[in-house]
Amino acid sequence: MTGYRYHEQHTPPPARQVTDVAVERFEHIFEVDPKLMTAHVAQQLFPNWDTLRIAASRGDHLEWMHRHWAYQVISAQELLDEIESEQPG
Amino acid sequence: MTDVPPRQSPAPEEQAGGAADTGHNGGNGHSPVTVEFLSEWRNAAYNCYSSGHKFCREVCPVMQVTRNENHTPTAFHANVVAMEQGELTVEDVAEDYVNCTQCGACELRCPNTLFTGDFYRFRTRTVDLVKRMRALAVDNGVHQPGYQRWNELTDERSHEPVLGDTPVSQEHVRDWAGGLDIPIGGETVLFVDCEAAFYRTSLPRAVAQILRRAGYEFGLMTEQWCCGGPAAEMGYRDQARRFAEHNLADWRAAGVRRVLVLDPHDYITFTEDYPEFFGDDFDIEIVLVVELLAQLIAEGRLTPTVPIERTITYHDPCRLNKRKGVWQEPRQILGAIPGLTFHDVDRVTQWSYCSGAGAGLPIERPEIARKISENRMDEAAQLEVDTLVSACPWSERPLAEAGQDRAIDVVDIHELLAESLGIDVGGRTRA
Ligand code: SF4
Ligand code: SF4
Repeated sequence: MTGYRYHEQHTPPPARQVTDVAVERFEHIFEVDPKLMTAHVAQQLFPNWDTLRIAASRGDHLEWMHRHWAYQVISAQELLDEIESEQPG
Repeated sequence: MTDVPPRQSPAPEEQAGGAADTGHNGGNGHSPVTVEFLSEWRNAAYNCYSSGHKFCREVCPVMQVTRNENHTPTAFHANVVAMEQGELTVEDVAEDYVNCTQCGACELRCPNTLFTGDFYRFRTRTVDLVKRMRALAVDNGVHQPGYQRWNELTDERSHEPVLGDTPVSQEHVRDWAGGLDIPIGGETVLFVDCEAAFYRTSLPRAVAQILRRAGYEFGLMTEQWCCGGPAAEMGYRDQARRFAEHNLADWRAAGVRRVLVLDPHDYITFTEDYPEFFGDDFDIEIVLVVELLAQLIAEGRLTPTVPIERTITYHDPCRLNKRKGVWQEPRQILGAIPGLTFHDVDRVTQWSYCSGAGAGLPIERPEIARKISENRMDEAAQLEVDTLVSACPWSERPLAEAGQDRAIDVVDIHELLAESLGIDVGGRTRA
């Protein structure tokens, strides 16, 4: 198995521009375009494991929240569509 | 985020702390080293202070016990703001920062990590802040007596004084391996933390014999010292670095390419502190044993067959689950052991659990650490289990003590696997 290696961890996959302000390096994980993070707050050194850990933890946490409190999970768009369909004429 | 003028090219160490130029250096009569600290941590501190939502509060194991607002991650950040404003000094706040096990729950649960940290590549770093504030205190001559004594003894003996009045020493660091004929050196070495090397010797013996059973070759270090992590956690950074330099030199001299780590605390030290000390020069691969064993089982190189008739739950060690996101592999190992009845608690619920054993809390605040251990074992008792399995030697001593009153055994996952492989590990589980 491959363990932790410094050079691997500090070599992120190439960034693909996905919008004017966002890039994607790992599938479904979006990051602000680093060009926008130079004036007020500098980005931190971010090994790959940390990006992946946070993204995975977010998914786990949302799933946990849904499991404990959500009767049903719907997208915001579904909600908007429902509101629109209820509005008269 | 604060509205401050940019600097042309931020220094790398400032990037690590997340600060671009502030224009405000927080002079206010602080020492130069404090001014530098405030410059590095100002943005992070204001980021929390202006958020102030305290999602971090109830997951904090110390806060659950003390209910003292000065022990919250929010306060740890707000103090930096107050220092920067000239309202407080490091002498005023240093003692508050002992109230932390560096478990990482708060910084992971903080929305500025969990929901935006990966997006901005800027997350809440309470653990680093606590480490840095402790170091700042030491740099300003403010010592916590327990930490100071512990690190003096570690410096004298090259290992932590885990046996209390019985001294530990360099000549005994490999005693745990007696009769196992493990070679010295080689491309891969097993690093054994101070607690396991001197106190819970059954653990490294279990790991060594499991690896041998799988045909996995490894050796031991020529002269292993403490990893230096505890010194870094308690603020003795120069000592931590000296120890790190020694171990790295030992690895280099023996041609080591890979270090196997059985202790989650060492895993943090080697994958966070050593990279910070050595940067690009850190070319040693670090392998977590619990991940390696899960893989060896998946590949069919290890097949546990001896049934273990126990009703268990698993304690997610903070430094694996919260700080590294390692929670699946231990469950894969437990799933492969026949006979177990497993009452699991999911890893998100366990974000608010802790053994209390981390970052020197038992040295300076033993009563708080003990209450955290008791809280953890109360959670286990509700599951009506007879055994709690952990993957962290430092958690096992305090949890075992708390388990006695509740008739719950505390067993190490590596030792449990060895038992199911039919290995009689030898060694001892206490001093
Ligand atoms: S640490 Fe995070 S969750 Fe806690 S108060 Fe600060 S910003 Fe909010
Ligand atoms: S790292 Fe753990 S103990 Fe320390 S403040 Fe955060 S939650 Fe509390």
